[in-house]
Amino acid sequence: MTAVAAKYAEIRKLGAEVLSVSVDSHFVHKMWQEHELSKMIPGGVPYPMLSDPGGRIGRAYAVYDEAAGVDIRGRFLIDPDGVIQAMEVLAPAVGRNVGELIRQLQAFQHARQTGQVTPSGWAPGKQALTPGPELTGKVFEAWKPGEAD
Amino acid sequence: MAVMVGRAAPDFEANAFVDGTFGVVKLSDYKGQWVVLCFYPGDFTFV
Repeated sequence: MTAVAAKYAEIRKLGAEVLSVSVDSHFVHKMWQEHELSKMIPGGVPYPMLSDPGGRIGRAYAVYDEAAGVDIRGRFLIDPDGVIQAMEVLAPAVGRNVGELIRQLQAFQHARQTGQVTPSGWAPGKQALTPGPELTGKVFEAWKPGEAD
Repeated sequence: MAVMVGRAAPDFEANAFVDGTFGVVKLSDYKGQWVVLCFYPGDFTFV
């Protein structure tokens, strides 16, 4: 979660808020912030840290592990209408890629603002596509797989 | 209802540690802006 905190300014600049959720109480969140996070991130993590005792929220998002009694690492990108646009769930051993989260946020914002769709690996400044009859069967003219890199 | 892209995110209310104090956070309070909702297994873990 500190990796998200380190990129928080960039995420806020895109008009997004971060909410973190675990089964720990808000009291434990405070302890974690004071004893560890604030030593990793100047000022500590800047976003709200939510408490989900018993996994009620985690169950609603299908990320609560009943056996372990914890919320596993799920990430949901929710648009201004409250609709889920992206979701990613990782098994415990591997952490997130915050750069990819930011790329997805930029791509969904581009799609929402322009009505265009963004090909694989799209990033700001790269070619996006306008869906429609004219493009059908002609994607090869507008976009090459090598542009995904 | 299962969570799915293109569907409404389930609303919730939770106790939170925010800006150095305790408060209550409701997802629907963030309507009108993008939200990155991140679950993680627990405080004081490693990744």
